[in-house]
Parts: sequence; structure tokens; C-alpha cells
Amino acid sequence: MRLFNMPPQIVRLCLVTIGIVGSYLVARAVLTPPSFREYGFFRGDALKDIMALPPQYGGKVSCDECHSDQFTKLNKGGHKRLSCEVCHGPGYAHTQSPDAGMHKPTFTVCSKCHEANPSRPKTHKQIVLKEHYAGGKCMECHVPHSPAEVP
Amino acid sequence: MDVTNVMAHVASSVDVTNILVEVAPRFEGYVYPNEASPEPLWGILIVIYPYITGLVAGAFIMASLVRVFRVQALEPVYRLSLLTALSFMLCATMPLLLHLGHPERCYEIMMTPHLTSPMAIFGFVYAWYLMAVLLLELWFDYRQDFVEWSQTEPGFRGMLYRALMLGVTDESEAAVKLDMKLGWIISIIGIPSAFLLHGYVGFIFGSIKANPWWGNVLMPIIFILSAMVSGIALCVLNYMVLTWVRRKKIDMRCLDMMAMFLFYALVIDAAVEGLDWIHRIYSAEEDFSVIRYVATEKLFYTLNIGQALMGTVLPLLMLGLNQVVRKRLSDMARKRMYFASALMIVLGVFAMRWNVVIGGQLFSKSLRGFMSYKMQFIGMEGWLLGLVVLSIPFIILTVMIKLFLSERLPTAGHTPHPTPPSN
Repeated sequence: MRLFNMPPQIVRLCLVTIGIVGSYLVARAVLTPPSFREYGFFRGDALKDIMALPPQYGGKVSCDECHSDQFTKLNKGGHKRLSCEVCHGPGYAHTQSPDAGMHKPTFTVCSKCHEANPSRPKTHKQIVLKEHYAGGKCMECHVPHSPAEVP
Repeated sequence: MDVTNVMAHVASSVDVTNILVEVAPRFEGYVYPNEASPEPLWGILIVIYPYITGLVAGAFIMASLVRVFRVQALEPVYRLSLLTALSFMLCATMPLLLHLGHPERCYEIMMTPHLTSPMAIFGFVYAWYLMAVLLLELWFDYRQDFVEWSQTEPGFRGMLYRALMLGVTDESEAAVKLDMKLGWIISIIGIPSAFLLHGYVGFIFGSIKANPWWGNVLMPIIFILSAMVSGIALCVLNYMVLTWVRRKKIDMRCLDMMAMFLFYALVIDAAVEGLDWIHRIYSAEEDFSVIRYVATEKLFYTLNIGQALMGTVLPLLMLGLNQVVRKRLSDMARKRMYFASALMIVLGVFAMRWNVVIGGQLFSKSLRGFMSYKMQFIGMEGWLLGLVVLSIPFIILTVMIKLFLSERLPTAGHTPHPTPPSN
């Protein structure tokens, strides 16, 4: 093949290069999501996709509708900055239908924050669970909704 | 270093690290919560990634000794080196894709290129090296043979060679001369490209300035030099194994020359890595006590025994001895020493990659605590998969040798570039 009097190797390689670059450009046009760079360096529709997901958490205020006594108690105690769902788990389904149960917290929930860990501030109450109480039933002696209270 | 208690909440997250026994992750001293994971974020697959990339760069530089620097004694391994580089290049991104866990998304790095992400740029460095350097150089070198083989070989092979010809059937002296000239130019471009490819891998680690084990300006240079050493050693092994499989006689002139270049490369590599350590020890910055503990305790076997003794000192002694008293040693003794040295270097450089990748994740950012790593057997970061990934380039190389380095197929006989290009 003689094109512009160029050697055939060069002509073929030019054609192959054009083919590869062209395929890349076509693939890029087809495969790049249309909403890419809409808000930033990501697929804009990703936000809509996330918004379309069913909510998992009901939010602290929704608990007040039926459990106002516990809600008031919690907001007065040392755990007032915690949301109910921190210990009880995601509860949106429960807010829609009381039949949908909630997670019943066990000692593992308490130990997540109160197990001794040198990286935690000294002011934070910490215990070595095995030394503190091997029974694993924190609520025998503590009231999570009002930590200062003795049952 | 003050060793305190094992953090109970972390010990509770026992991970199955072996199919037979459960090993709890162990921490010493003060470790931040985000560092207290059962195993490091980067495991064996990230160790294999710079290892394979280094072998590519090293094997290519080995080939360029023939084409650019016209070391004619190495001609028997020219094509083998290039095919080795290509086989490993085709697998270079495999450990990364497996590590990330979504290999089907691999094209996205090219579709939406991000110019400030080092890993995204690596996609282009990789593409450049594969498409514009390796494949082009191989094509120019093989083109005349493809034309010949396409006429003589039937069936699938014939079709393959015809396809690889890209429709160029010109075998005139001028056309072949042009092939050689263009191949020579690409090889010249290929040397800095090979340095860029592997220097870039070193840069990815060296630019992590928050980690004193990695954040080091010498890192790209150390990576390139160790890549050259490992690549040449792999070519020595491949050449010796191939001739043994084919029951052929080893060209001792070629093997001696490879061993000589291996020795020189190893001397420079050992000197620069030694310089790095001298600098670290003498400057003894605030992180030095941690680095010293990692080097002497956590990585004792892989760094001192694997990388330093087995991968550097013993091969240096053996290859050095060969340089001094080569004529007094029999061919068999030299072959054995070369094979042992190359094998130890290949394993030693793997230990070096391990030390870099895993070593940087064995101490806390607090510089007051240490993590540990127990490699799994099965799983995405297990050594079984690591072995599989490492064996795939050799399988590809075997197929390529069958297709493009077959004894049955006559070659055109032209040397890569015995004389300076005159056209």
C-alpha cells in the first residue's frame, strides 16, 4: 500500500493507531456516564441513585412519638448526645410499622465505646470487660438511658 | 519500645488467617484505631504488582543492551527478553485489579482519566509502554518473520501470523532496513520509558510523605535499579531453563555476558540501597527508632536474610568471583553459580518488594506502636492466589515461546542491529 509515498509499515501502523485512538474515543463517548462531571469528578446520577435507596434510619425525633418517657430520660442523662439508633440499630422500618422489631442491645454495644482502649481520652469511662464483669449483662447494674441512675 | 496490652476490642475481631488455625491480630505499643485492622490494607497482591512491573522493565533493558548498546554476545536472548517483558507486562495490572475487587470496572480508569491521581496516570504510563514501546518493537523485529511464517504455516498459526503482519508483505532489503531502524529508535525511546514505568511505581510509594518507610526521594531510583537486577536475573533463568528443556547447548559467551551485566547492575543497586540506609542511619530522624525496630525485628528474615544476604551479598560474591577467576572455572561450575545467583536475586528482589510494601504497614503513624501481618492461605490476599498470579506470566511466556520462538520456525536471520543505522 502506497499512500503519500510512505513506506507500507508506517501507513499500516498509522491506520492501526487511528483505529485504536478512534475506538478509544468512541468507547469514551459511549461508556462515560452522561451525568459525569455534573457536580464534580463523579457520576452526578450517583446522588439520585443513593437518594432512591430506602432509608434505614428513622432519626431520633421519630422515637419521641411513641417512646417519649425513654426519650425524655435519655435527653437528661450522660448519653444525651447519642441517638437511639446508635444502640438499637437502624429503625426506619419500625417507625413505619411497630411490628417491625428493633435490635435488642447486648453488652457488645456497650463495649464498643467503653472497652478500654489507650487511644480514647482519659475522661471517657472505660473498663476491661473481662475484669469488670464476666457475666456480660451490663444492664443488671447500669441504666443505659440514664447512666448515672442505679437500678 | 514500651509494649503494652493487646487491645481487647481489637483482639475480639479475630480473623481466620489460615485454613487450620485462627490467629488474632497482634499489636504492640500504641496503635491508632484505624490502623488496628486484622490485616494491612495492602497485602501480597500489592507486593506482586511492583515485582512484576520491575521484571518487565528489567527484561526490556536486557533486550535493549542488544539493540541500543549493540552487545552482540547477548543476541541469543534478545527475543526471549522481549517476550519475557511482554508476558509479564500483560499481567502487570492483574494483581491490582484483583486487589481492588472489581476487575470488570478496569476500563473506567481510561474512560474518565484523572490527571492528579498517581494510579490513574499509571494507566497511561502502562498503555504507553505496552502499546507504543513493547508491541511496536516486537512488531518491527518480527515483521519479516511473520511474512515468511504466514506463507509456510497452516491453520491457526498461519492465520495468526497473517493477522500480525497487518497486511504488510514487503520483504525488500529497504523495508527490512527500515524495520530495523524504526525498531532501534523505539528501543531508544523504550529505555527512558522502562525507567518511567518502574520509576513511577517507586514514585507511588516514595511520594507517600506521611510514611517514613516509603516517603523517600531515592525510592524511584532504588526501584529502577532493583528492577534491572531482577529482570536480567529472570532472563538468565529463562534462557538456562529454555536451553535445558530444548536439550541445547548454552552459549557460554552469552551467559557470561549476562552474568557480567547482572553483576554490574547488582553492584550499583546494592550501593544505592546501602546509601539509602547510610542516610537513614546517619540522619536518624524522629522515626528512626521505629524504622530500626521494623528492620531488625519485624522484617528480620525478609530484609536481613532474604533481601540483604540471599538477594545481594551471596550473588555479589558468586558473580564477583566469576568476574575475577572466570577462566579458571569450568563451564558447569559457572552455569551452576549463575543459576544459583539469578535464582537468589529473583527471590531477594521479591523479598525487597515485600519489605517495602508490608514494612510500611507494620508500624503506627504514632511512631509508638507496631502492627503484625499473618498472610492468609486462601482468599484474595492469600499466598495461594499470589502463586497463581505469579505463575500466569510464565504460562503466557510458554505459549509465546511456542508461537514466536519455536525451533521449527526459521527466522529471517537478521540481527537486531549489528551495525549503526545508515539509512
